[in-house]
Amino acid sequence: MKRGILTVILFCFIVSCAACADDNGNTLDEATSEFFAMNTYISVTVYGKDADNTVKSARDRITELERLWSVTDENSEIYAVNHSDGKMITVSEDTAELIAFALRMAERTNGALEPTIYPVLRAWGFTTGENRVPQESEIKELLNMVGYDKVRQNGNEIQILNNMMLDLGAVGKGYAGDEIAELLKENGITSALIDLGGNIQLLGTKPDGSNWRIGLKDPEGAGNVGILSVSDCAIVTSGNYERYFTASDGTVYGHIIDPVTGYPVNNDLLSVTVIAKEGKICDALSTSLFVMGVQKAEAHWRQYQDFDMILITKSGEIHITEGIKDNFSLDVNHGNMKVGVIEV
Amino acid sequence: MKNKVLIGICIAIFLIGVIGSALVLFAPHGTKVNIVQDGAVLYTFDLSVTEDQTLEIEYNGRTNIVQIENGKIRVVEADCPDKTCIRMGWLETGSLPIVCLPNHLSIEFADEREDLDAVIK
Ligand SMILES: [Zn+2]
Repeated sequence: MKRGILTVILFCFIVSCAACADDNGNTLDEATSEFFAMNTYISVTVYGKDADNTVKSARDRITELERLWSVTDENSEIYAVNHSDGKMITVSEDTAELIAFALRMAERTNGALEPTIYPVLRAWGFTTGENRVPQESEIKELLNMVGYDKVRQNGNEIQILNNMMLDLGAVGKGYAGDEIAELLKENGITSALIDLGGNIQLLGTKPDGSNWRIGLKDPEGAGNVGILSVSDCAIVTSGNYERYFTASDGTVYGHIIDPVTGYPVNNDLLSVTVIAKEGKICDALSTSLFVMGVQKAEAHWRQYQDFDMILITKSGEIHITEGIKDNFSLDVNHGNMKVGVIEV
Repeated sequence: MKNKVLIGICIAIFLIGVIGSALVLFAPHGTKVNIVQDGAVLYTFDLSVTEDQTLEIEYNGRTNIVQIENGKIRVVEADCPDKTCIRMGWLETGSLPIVCLPNHLSIEFADEREDLDAVIK
């Protein structure tokens, strides 16, 4: 009898150890979908009940938005607006909302975000990959067709001048990320990682309750500058290192155009990373803060403080806002970079 | 009969204990060390390349002085009441960090697999 009891105790002891080792392996499903859309590689990983079906509807939603906003697809709403010969065009709720947001951010950033820069971008060849350096006179002429203040919006009705072009590329992926996060939440998902070509959108924490560990790519070399440990937010980086070409005289031109000069941005910044609740804010701000340069970007943060950011300068410094500094750890191989905290 | 069973169980428990301690003491670890305060990583060092130095880490007006020497790391001075962190000596295993509870400080080997969830590009 006693032997039986002891065996039971020993058995319980062993089983309880096995159980605690398996503590995190709770009943959440995991599902991942990887696909190409919005000119980039997208991956959606979802943890929760019915993860498979939810991840499929996320993919459908992104494809739907891409069809509305493609600049080159002849059936898209943006294409219709850009080929309207100055006539009023009625667009869907999604498109109207995104245009309104882009115009609002253009105003907030004093035109550093410029949703009508497309003709200039095209002249530099960044839309086709056949890069060239346009004549100064050509750029001047093209800049006449640029200006977010010339876009008329009345609810779902959009009107732009003949020869103007609207391009929502700088905000579309962020908006899509927000939409997907919302869709997942409505389906009861509490943990998800959405990677839209390096734009990261995080829903909740990891399934085990810990923060997601997100590497911040070195804009100049291999590896990561550091690691962000965060949850429930979006992170977007902009920099001219992403896409650029070298002209015959050796000058390097990047794909982010300064809407004032019509030339690729060339200031004290290598990259801007924005961390905020909403992906569309991150998307819009990372581009426009990069256009602004260090001083104006820091001034913009002090004025609004509805986001956090990490600036990497050409002089090898990292400027990080106080709200996110505790979530950032510098990579061991980047110890030579000086980290400075941006305070209010 | 009864005695044999008891002895058998004792040996079993003893062996489990020995194996368990061995696992804890010789848990594999790399050379990267994190100094963590309240869950936030303050510093990360690769002990194989870091020069000898001492660091002062503050918490609510109290300090721990951390020493890195010959590729090893320890707490040499602390104004916490218990001094447990000093008595723990050099950081040796991957499973047992140096902890100073009163000052919310811990020094631990970093997970060598950088297991990132994603990279921002
Ligand atoms: Zn202590």
